[in-house]
Parts: sequence; structure tokens; C-alpha cells
Amino acid sequence: MKKRLFAIKISIFCLITLNIFVVEAIAQECHFRLSGIIYDGTNKQILSGATVSLVGSDKIAVTNKSGVYRFNKLCSGTYRIKITHVGCIPIEASLVVDSDLVNQNFYLLHTSEQLSEVVVSSSYDTDVNSIKSSLSVEEMQKLKGSTLGEMLKQLSGVSVLQTGSTVFKPVIHGLHSQRVLILNNGVRQEGQQWGAEHAPEIDPLVASRLTVIKGAGALRYGSDAIGGAVLVEPRSLDIDTGLRVEVNTIYSSNNRMGLLNSIVEQGIKSEKSSWAWRSHLTYKRGGNARTPDYWLHNTGIQELNYSFHGGYQREKTKADIYFSAFNTKIGIFWGAHIGNLTDLENAINNKTPLFNINEFDYQIGRPSQEVSHYLIKAKLTQELSKDRRINFVLSHQENFRKEFDRSLIDNNPELDLNLGTTTADLNFETDRFANTNQQFGFTVQRQANIWSGSRFFLPNYTNLLLGLYGIRKWEKNDLQFEAGLRYDYRSLEVFRNQNGQNFQVDRQFNNLSSSFAINYVPNNNMSWVNNFSLAWRPPHVNELYVNGLHHGTANFEIGDPNLNSETSLKYTSQFNYQWNKNTKIDLTLYANYIQNFINLVPVLPATLTLRGAFPTFQFKQADALLSGSDLTFNTALNPSWTYRFKASVLIPRNLESRTWLQQMPAPQIDQEISWYFSPDKKSNYISTNALWVARQRFIPDNFIDYLAPPSEYLLFNLNFATEIRLMKTPVSLGASVFNLFNVRYRDYMNRFRYFSDEVGTNVVLRLKINV
Amino acid sequence: MLKKYVIGVLSIALSVSAISCKKASMANNESEHQAINRIEMLFKQSGTTVSTIVAEDPDGDGGNPPSRIDNISLDINKTYDVEVKFFNISNGVTKDISPTILQQAKQHEVYFILSGLSLSIEKKDKDDNGFPIGLISQWKTGNTGGQGSVLLKLMHKPLIKGPNDDPSKGHSDIAISFNLNVK
Repeated sequence: MKKRLFAIKISIFCLITLNIFVVEAIAQECHFRLSGIIYDGTNKQILSGATVSLVGSDKIAVTNKSGVYRFNKLCSGTYRIKITHVGCIPIEASLVVDSDLVNQNFYLLHTSEQLSEVVVSSSYDTDVNSIKSSLSVEEMQKLKGSTLGEMLKQLSGVSVLQTGSTVFKPVIHGLHSQRVLILNNGVRQEGQQWGAEHAPEIDPLVASRLTVIKGAGALRYGSDAIGGAVLVEPRSLDIDTGLRVEVNTIYSSNNRMGLLNSIVEQGIKSEKSSWAWRSHLTYKRGGNARTPDYWLHNTGIQELNYSFHGGYQREKTKADIYFSAFNTKIGIFWGAHIGNLTDLENAINNKTPLFNINEFDYQIGRPSQEVSHYLIKAKLTQELSKDRRINFVLSHQENFRKEFDRSLIDNNPELDLNLGTTTADLNFETDRFANTNQQFGFTVQRQANIWSGSRFFLPNYTNLLLGLYGIRKWEKNDLQFEAGLRYDYRSLEVFRNQNGQNFQVDRQFNNLSSSFAINYVPNNNMSWVNNFSLAWRPPHVNELYVNGLHHGTANFEIGDPNLNSETSLKYTSQFNYQWNKNTKIDLTLYANYIQNFINLVPVLPATLTLRGAFPTFQFKQADALLSGSDLTFNTALNPSWTYRFKASVLIPRNLESRTWLQQMPAPQIDQEISWYFSPDKKSNYISTNALWVARQRFIPDNFIDYLAPPSEYLLFNLNFATEIRLMKTPVSLGASVFNLFNVRYRDYMNRFRYFSDEVGTNVVLRLKINV
Repeated sequence: MLKKYVIGVLSIALSVSAISCKKASMANNESEHQAINRIEMLFKQSGTTVSTIVAEDPDGDGGNPPSRIDNISLDINKTYDVEVKFFNISNGVTKDISPTILQQAKQHEVYFILSGLSLSIEKKDKDDNGFPIGLISQWKTGNTGGQGSVLLKLMHKPLIKGPNDDPSKGHSDIAISFNLNVK
């Protein structure tokens, strides 16, 4: 009963925060229209598939992909409206329809699985106007045990930049590293993301949802993410659960990897205040991976991650604290660890790796990476009045990266970097003016990077960032608008020491970025979002001052201290259409013009050292145009069978040299057919998918790569999932077979494609228990 | 209320921006440390060193190219005992790395790859498995002179070293070419 009362209280709270829109009176009885958007009350994301019904009538609407519901031909009067959605608390409200075009939005709250705005919210600025795609709950479950990059590549328009079988970096519309922003529970992830072989330091098992924003839809968090943003969103804390325990165990056959993950959470309520907490722990260990023909020596992985999240609410104040730790040790494939250009040529000329031990082993030796990332975040939200609130977030991150190359003298890492980042973010939000939402904010960030080790690669630096932004959203008839403006000031101080001579280099960057979106929602079945953005990214210290040999790839990289900011002008258009309940299409088109695109370009002569000659690359700027398209098509053939088609293509043009940009993802098509053996349950299915990746033909004419792009390939995967009850405890079982036919292939986006094939068949078994 | 918040937050924000970063300003020397940056080849006859050939790159990989690579000059019809030594010079301190390589002999092998002329080179030292190392070798010149070069390679091949490995096996710790003149 108490629980129910609380739910009602939540609903009332939600109703208070409703956006009430302009009412235009047209005096025509029974020709009135009622529409609005249903949001997830926890994180303000739109909810598609919610059922909206008018109690006492046969009128039912289902929200479309933009969360929009709509009723036409209503008579004037008072209606009782009921909204339901799987996993959410249904709400009912009374509405007076006395004019044409009544707009009413609602916020739904989750039942036990997820909660709850009242205690703690993670409010992300991603709404209907940003162009995005998320992994579904089933996909998240299916991919458990994979790295963040591997999970995200399931989304169309997202691919990965790989380093062997252990390092995966997400690539959005051809852009990665500094150009992709990763928000870990609402905080910008600040690690050594500049490196192509540096994977995001995040355990995807903390997330209940993974979303990719294609384009600069995250102005609030910075303007430099000209490729897009990845949102890693944990479930909100739940005050209603009592004590809940979830245990996941996963086994992967290919590298004999075992994973154990547990989540413990609890909500505590008292009359005036509520508390909730959650902790998570993941341990995983895997050994050498195997291609169809041989083991890859030294490709083991170890991970230990944990987090704690606590929340408190009292009247109009909400406070939440989050701590997370990520620790990993990754082996780098032996056969890719070469000394110089001659070694590289020898490696390429051999079909199987020249330098390898064809055995399974869990041992991780040199070369390897050891990475730790710690984040602590405190957030305070204060309701100033019913339509104004203020959010304050203070966070600190420490990133430690050690790269072990090959030392003759001692056991220390060749490269040892420590990056500390402190960020304070103040955000003020108001819904005061009818039909609109405004927010303004201010961010201060201070960063310091310290290097040590026996090989110079990246200098010490401090970085101060000041950002000011304002975002306004409004609606008119079938159109929704969003406009944002942001100003950034960045001051970079670089500390050098060349042969004992200390000196300092300072650079300042000032830039204005903006975005504008129009979403056309003419009816329940269609939405068309158009997003224009102007964003900039200052060159990273790496691009300015790097001077050294890149770990494992025998490339000598040289920075250019005179580089300017990159400016991106991007247009993205997403068209969603639903024919009937069963068939949906989602088409995204984009064109990203980047002025001063920073690119690693081969230069002559090769760098001569006592270890031999090394191919040399320098950071240079050129104007570029990245354009392309992503398409997703879903159809339910009948209640048990569904078919899904996904395709993406990218045309990466270098406008200055009139050729193509290197290392860009090739076109691909992924088709899936699923059979739901108990149709009312999405979690019981068998599916198979076929992924076809084309040979990359867009390669620079003037760039002599050591090896031509690999041939096209076709992979088949198989998935099975079901839910059973074991002594009244719900248990989820899953099994997947990746690369079912053990296909031998190489991928253009794998930096180790010169040395070895991709991994062969991998059988993954999953077990999840909720107590 | 709002005013109180803004003031509070701004003061925290300012203190964030004022966190001093003393450590960052104390930068390490970028010249490479702890790597081989000097190689010596000692050519001996009857135990006496007759010539010392040096290759040196004080600032390590990158920066300036190797500052010194001597030419090797040998006489015809002579036998030389050759000892190869590897050093690390960092902050004015010279460290002989050859004993470490000898200690890890099962993972290493030195190669001499001739081009443009021929002479007989025989490795005289062996690791615990009885496989060649190459830190000590014997060079015999013939009765004709000529000009060419010798590529000195130190290959690293833990766990995979065999008795008759191709010089391409493993990865190169050192690969430096010296001009060679026999007269």
C-alpha cells in the first residue's frame, strides 16, 4: 500500500512538471486534436511504444519513435487519459479538451526495474531533437561480456577501430578518439583517448542503456565532439526495491574468458527523505584469442571494475554521489610487435605471424597495457520552484596508463601517463515560459597530464577550459525546435624538457559553436529531424607535440605545433516512418564538412635510428567532407517472426588532395531474422544474423599502404535467449555463436590487419540471476 | 536562493580552476632513457684491440638522427676477434647493457648481414641451449679487397629462438648498417 501511495505521489510530481503548451482555439466541435510526447521520467528520454488511451472510449494511440501520441476528431469535453508502457508505472490524468491542438506531455516512471526521478536522476540532454540510436534491452543482454566498442558497433553508423583482438574504439560516422565524446554517467570521460589503440576506460556492465548521438547533439557537454557522443547510462537508483541482487556470469570459448559480475542495490524510505544505493563489481579474465588457424600469443585480458552509487532526497533537494573504478591489463599480440620497417615487411610477407607461439595461455607478458581509471562525481539538484531547477555537478577523474613495450634494462613501462581532470558544471533549467524549455550553464575544467617512462611520446601539460552555453527548446504545431549556443575558452600550457633545457609553450583557443534542430512530427507514424551544427575542436596536445615511436606499430609520429582548430559544419537528417504497428524505417543522412581536418599523413624520409628505419607520419590539416547514410528497417512478419535490415555507407573525401581519407569504415549490411518462441515475451528468442562488410575502395591514391585493404567478408552469428524460473527466482539464459562458420578474414579497421587474421568462432554462454 | 547557489558554485568552480599543477611543470627529459643509444664493435687481434667502431644516437629514436656511425676498415688476409657491446648513455651516465643481453642470451641473437662483399664470420659464443649469440665472433678476410656494408642486427625472440634462425625471426632491437672497406 505504501508503495502504491508513493507511486501516486510520483505521478503527481510528474504531472506538476508537465509542459503545458499553447492552446489555439478553433470553435469546431468534434474536430479537436490532442497530442503530446511521452517521456521517460527518469532520464527525460522519449518513450516509443507507450500506449495512450482515452478511458471510456475506444480511442488508443501508441507513441512513435519520437514519443509522440496523437488523437484526432475529439469532441470538446473532459477526458480521462491513461498511459502505459512496459516496465513503467501507468498514469491516469484528467484533461480538458476545449480547443483544437491541445498539447500535453507526460513523464512515466519505471516500476521495480528502474527508478526514480524522486530520488536521483541522471538527466541527459538527449531528447527528440537529437539524432541518436540506442541498443535495445535484448541487444544489451546479448552482448554482455563484450567491450564498450564491440557493443556499440551493433548500431548502424557506428563501427570500431581495432588494435588486435583486445582494443576496440567506437567510430561514429568515420570519426573517433578526441572527436567522439563519451559520457560516463553524465560526466565527460577524460582518459588518454587521443591514441588509436586506447580503448574507452569504461565497464559497459555499469550501463543499463547505451546511446549514440550522431552529430553534435551534446552541446551541453562540450563542442569538440564533432563526430558524436556515446552515453553510458546506469539505471537510476531505485527507492522501491528493498534489497536486490543481480549476478551475471559469462563464458567465452574463443579466449576461454570467464566473467563474473554482481550488482547489489537497495532503497530506503522514510517519511521525509529517501535513500538508495547500488554497488557493482566485475571481474573478467581471458587468455589468448584464436583465429581459425592459430592462437594469437599474448592477447589475454584481465579486468577488475567496481562502482558505488548513493542517492539522497529530501523535499526539493536531491544529492547523489558516484564512484567508479576501472582497471585492466591487456596483452598486445606478439606478432604485431615489430622492431622496424624491415620487420614489418617481413611480417606482411608471411601469411601466418612470423613471431608467435601457437598455444593457449592466460599469461600476459610484454608488450602490454595497464590502465586504471577512477571517477568520483557529486551531483546536487535543487528545485527552486515548480518550474525552475538548478543542477551542480563536481567531478574528478584520474587516469593512469602504462604501456610496456620491450625493456632490456628494467621492468618499468616505456610509457607512463597520468591524467587528472577536475570539472565543475552548473546548469540552470526553466520551463517557466509556456511551450518552451531553457537551460543555461557554465563549465570549468582543469586538467594536468604528467608523463614518465623511458620513451618520450606526449609532453606534460595543463589545460583550462571555460564553457558557457544556453539551449532553448520550443514547439509550434507539428514542429519542434531546438537551438543551442556555446562559447569555449581553452588555455593550454605545455612543459617541455629537451636535453635538460626546460621551456614552456602556451596556446589559447576561443570558439563559438551552435546547433539548430527542427523536428517535423505530422502524425503518430512519422518524424523527421533535421539537425545543423557548427562545432570546433582544438588540436590535442598529441597532435601538436607528439614526437616518437608509436607502440607496437613501428610508426614514427610527429606533431605540428602550429595546427589550428578543426571546424565542423554538419547537417544530419533522420527520417522515421512506421507503416503500421509492424513495419518501421529509420533513415539517417549526413554531410559533415570539416575545415582543417587533422590527419596523420606519411612523410619522407623515414626516420633513421639505431634500431633501423621507421616509416614516418606527420599531423597535417586538410578540408574534408564526410557524408553518408545509415538505414534500419524492421518488420514483423507475424507475431513470432521479425526481420531486420541495417546498412551504412560513408564517403570520406579529402577536398584538398581530391582523394579519399585513409582508415575509414567500409560499407556494411547486417540482416537478422528472429523467432520469438513465446511471442508475448521479447526475452525468449532464437535469431541469426549475417554481417557483410565490403572491401574498402575509398583509399587515398597517393598513400602507399603496406598492405591493400582486405577483401570483403560475410559472417554469420547465432543467438538464443530465454527466461526461466528456478525455485521462484527469475533466471535468464543466453547463448551466442559469433563467426559461426569460422571464417578466415581481416578487417580494414583493425590496425593489426598486417599481422594476423581476425578471431574465429566464439561461443558465449550467459547466465543472469535476479535475487 | 538562486543567488546563494550561484555564489557557492562559482567559488567552487574558481577553486577548481586554481588547483595548482606543480608536478606538470617539472617535465622529464625527452631524450630517450633506458634504451641502447651507443654500440661499439671492438676488432681485436691476438687479444689487442686494433680498432673500435662506434654508432651513437644520444637523443634516442627521433629528434636528431644518429650522430656518429663509423666506417669499418679491415685488412685482407687477416683474422679478427670481434666483440659487440651495447650501451645506454643517459644524463651523462654510461651503462653497459651487454651483460643483460648475455643474461637473456636465450632470447637474443646478433647477426651480421654483409652486402657488396664477402668474408667469413663465425659466432663464437653460445647460450644455455647451445644456440649462437653473436656478441663474440671471428671475422676472416680473404685475399681480395672491396667495399660494401655490414648490417648489425640484435634480434629479440623470447621462447622462439632456435639453432639456425633466419635473421628476420623475432623483432629488431638494433638494426644499423656500417660501411665496410677491406683492403
